Amino acid sequence: MRNNNYLTLSLVAVAILSGCNSMSHNAALTDAHANYDRAHNTPPIRQLAPLELNQAKDSLIKADAALRKGESTEAVNHLAYMASQQVAIAHLTAKHKTAELAVTHANANRDQVRLEARTAEADAAKLQLAIVQEVSEIQANDLAAAAANSESDQAIIALQDRKLNELAANSESDQALIVLQDKQLNELKAKQTKRGLVVTLGDVLFGTNQAELKASGVSNVQKLADFLKQHPQRKVLIEGHTDNRGSNSLNQALSSRRANSVRTALVEMGINSNRVTTNGYGELFPVASNHTAADRQLNRRIEIIFSDDSGNIVPR
Amino acid sequence: MITKLNFSKTCQIQRTGLVLAAVLFVAGCASTPPPTGPIATARAAVSAANSAGGNEFAPTEIKSAMVKLEAAELAMVKKDYLHALWLAEESEVDAQLAEAKTRSAKAQKVAETLREDSRVLRQEINRNAQ
Repeated sequence: MRNNNYLTLSLVAVAILSGCNSMSHNAALTDAHANYDRAHNTPPIRQLAPLELNQAKDSLIKADAALRKGESTEAVNHLAYMASQQVAIAHLTAKHKTAELAVTHANANRDQVRLEARTAEADAAKLQLAIVQEVSEIQANDLAAAAANSESDQAIIALQDRKLNELAANSESDQALIVLQDKQLNELKAKQTKRGLVVTLGDVLFGTNQAELKASGVSNVQKLADFLKQHPQRKVLIEGHTDNRGSNSLNQALSSRRANSVRTALVEMGINSNRVTTNGYGELFPVASNHTAADRQLNRRIEIIFSDDSGNIVPR
Repeated sequence: MITKLNFSKTCQIQRTGLVLAAVLFVAGCASTPPPTGPIATARAAVSAANSAGGNEFAPTEIKSAMVKLEAAELAMVKKDYLHALWLAEESEVDAQLAEAKTRSAKAQKVAETLREDSRVLRQEINRNAQ
């Protein structure tokens, strides 16, 4: 019995010793310490989750004490587990608060961005306003310029009107002049041909085989001289023509002399000799057949070709 | 431990000491009152973690907390109060971890969304400005 008791006592003592003291080391607790130290050495966790870290620390202290007091492995493991979970909570709390700070920062950032946007919009609006003002100023200037132009335009128009009136008046006088010319040319029995105006004076100017102007011829030449005096820009070509009776050379000479007679008469009447040229063509350019006396009379003629206003005469 | 060293006294004393030691040992290790408070706290923590959205963001942790809460309640029924206390405490800390994980993940999401919004807004402004 006594031995039994001793044995029992011994077993109990061994049990107590193994239960409480055999563990001077606990893996879970060592891990918990390592976790805690890592968290504690991370500044954001220390700053953002001090409460949670403290709870973990309390659990660690309890676990250390339990280990020291030789409490059961289960007890130490439990406390180590609590410490490790609290360290994890501290981690997550710090993470959570960092995210919240980021949110706050993001909000501030967004507000900043919005402010920038508003500022940009306001700047754009200001710019637009400035542009509008500038444009309206330009337009106002344009309008003023246009008004000024309008005035000068009015002046120009008035001037133009006056000029037009003058031109109209001139035109009237020109018309009158043209009418006069026409009348004069009609009197000379002028014809419009490809070579310009041509006046044909019949053989009534001269006697047969004569180169001296008859008195009736002189009056016709006088009309011609009057016309040339009124139109000093015009020149004349005087062409002498004959029928085919007589020799060709004789006719040639006769036509030249007759043309020269007319020229001489014109010069005597005050026409500059520069303005009058002559040519004798003899029988080369008949205007009728030469078979009848009437046709031959048509061929005997003086043709006076007028130049244009620039003094040009189209040659044969 | 002291009892072990003093067992050379009378048998009566030795017996008394042995009984005392045994009682002390049992009391030291098992004299835990029913942990109704810690279990209630754990239940509240699990419920809080659940309503925070722990099922979505911390399914492992919330599962662990719930399993331990059930085990704690079972230990209570078995009058294993020490294990009931430990299980309740671990259930609570697991639930707290689940909630922390959930809130952290949510905050992270919000921050991410805001960052993206900010980026898009800035892009928009830069485009408008051009």
